Amino acid sequence: MRIVFKITKRLLEEVRARLSRPHPFAFERVGFLLCRAGLLQDGGVVVLSHGLHDVEDGDYLDDSAAGATMGPHAIRKALQAAYNQGVSMFHVHLHLHSGRPRFSGIDQEETAKFVPDFWNVQPDLPHGAIVLSQDSAFGKCWIPGRKAPVDISSFAVVGIPMRRL
Amino acid sequence: MKEGVNSKLKLDCQSFLGENSAAVLDSSRIAIVGVGGGGSHIAQQLGHLGVGEFVLIDPDVVEDTNLNRLVGATQRDVSKGTAKASVAARVVASVNPCARIWVETTEWQMCAIALRSCDVIFGCVDAIGERQQLETAARRYLIPYVDIGMDVHRIGGEFSIGGQVALSMPGSSCLRCMGIIDDHVLELEAKQYGAAGSRPQVVWPNGLLASLAVGFFVQLFTPWRTTYLPSVLLEFDGEAQTVSPSNKLPYLAERNCPHFADISSLGDPFWTAQGLRRSAATAKD
Repeated sequence: MRIVFKITKRLLEEVRARLSRPHPFAFERVGFLLCRAGLLQDGGVVVLSHGLHDVEDGDYLDDSAAGATMGPHAIRKALQAAYNQGVSMFHVHLHLHSGRPRFSGIDQEETAKFVPDFWNVQPDLPHGAIVLSQDSAFGKCWIPGRKAPVDISSFAVVGIPMRRL
Repeated sequence: MKEGVNSKLKLDCQSFLGENSAAVLDSSRIAIVGVGGGGSHIAQQLGHLGVGEFVLIDPDVVEDTNLNRLVGATQRDVSKGTAKASVAARVVASVNPCARIWVETTEWQMCAIALRSCDVIFGCVDAIGERQQLETAARRYLIPYVDIGMDVHRIGGEFSIGGQVALSMPGSSCLRCMGIIDDHVLELEAKQYGAAGSRPQVVWPNGLLASLAVGFFVQLFTPWRTTYLPSVLLEFDGEAQTVSPSNKLPYLAERNCPHFADISSLGDPFWTAQGLRRSAATAKD
């Protein structure tokens, strides 16, 4: 199944800036992109991002095992935002290198646990997780009715100029 | 000689558009809604540029009154009643036989799902209300929308030609912000519904506005300079034979568009998981 992820240049710049802010103790920041979805003619899905839901400073756990560990309040607030606004949620974090990023082992384990939880509040919508590098992106999308996530096929940055990550 | 990835076009003369420009253009999917006086020029130029995939939409057939401006149309098309979209497809295919071309001879609203995976939508329709709908559809799926409009007005005893080309980028100013669409114009148009009559159209302003629209597209996808697109609204004065950036732009530059700010203006308005399963099953069939 083809999954296309779109983000405006302006929002991408904002995401990079907000996730790059230093945290009192976590090594990196994470957030959630609020998205809507559309069907494509070939049966695929286009995910359209609209805004960033920040994880608040106090909602990170002091855990040296990972760059950033979200506490239960972070997840609860993201679930609440998805429920209130009727949106898909895509977890997002940054890798500070160029080239195609990959999920770490911890990323894979953790996203597989919490992303499907968004179906408890928005069961009909796709949800997912993405990782951005300096010039590329990688992500997975959980589609309603499918247990295993699907790799996001392409990332489009909508702005002047148009770019594919 | 370099060739496009899936094209027989020799594109050396436009290699200044970038090392990968042939591949970028070949992998682009564009829609032209309204393949008449303006849209037929755009189709022809994008065919020459090496754009790989076209969705050409127009419910009309060629009539004798179209021959003064419809690129590629012939007397034979008039007698056969050839669809305008088929004429545009023929023009593109004659230049680039490898182009993937989808011809739709219905109203665009009937095949709107074909627009969703396009990289750019060119709107070449006359009615302001329809342009508003088309822009809204483009914004739903974060697709840049390029709008061209041309008019001939009688002022006193003389005629005046004017027009504009606008780029409506998701996240930036829309046609309403730019003053191309407003409630007063929509109201006037609604009152004239069914009595519009034929609008005067001529080939050279159509061609000029279409060329500017194609220029927007090229600057979006294969910019040849690092200073991108100095203007997103160009105005044509037919008497002075000039094109100028709109003087509204400085006022729009720092303003966020309030008309598509809500997240509900994105995506399918009636998304359901059942719809997703049905769509995936239909696509497999």
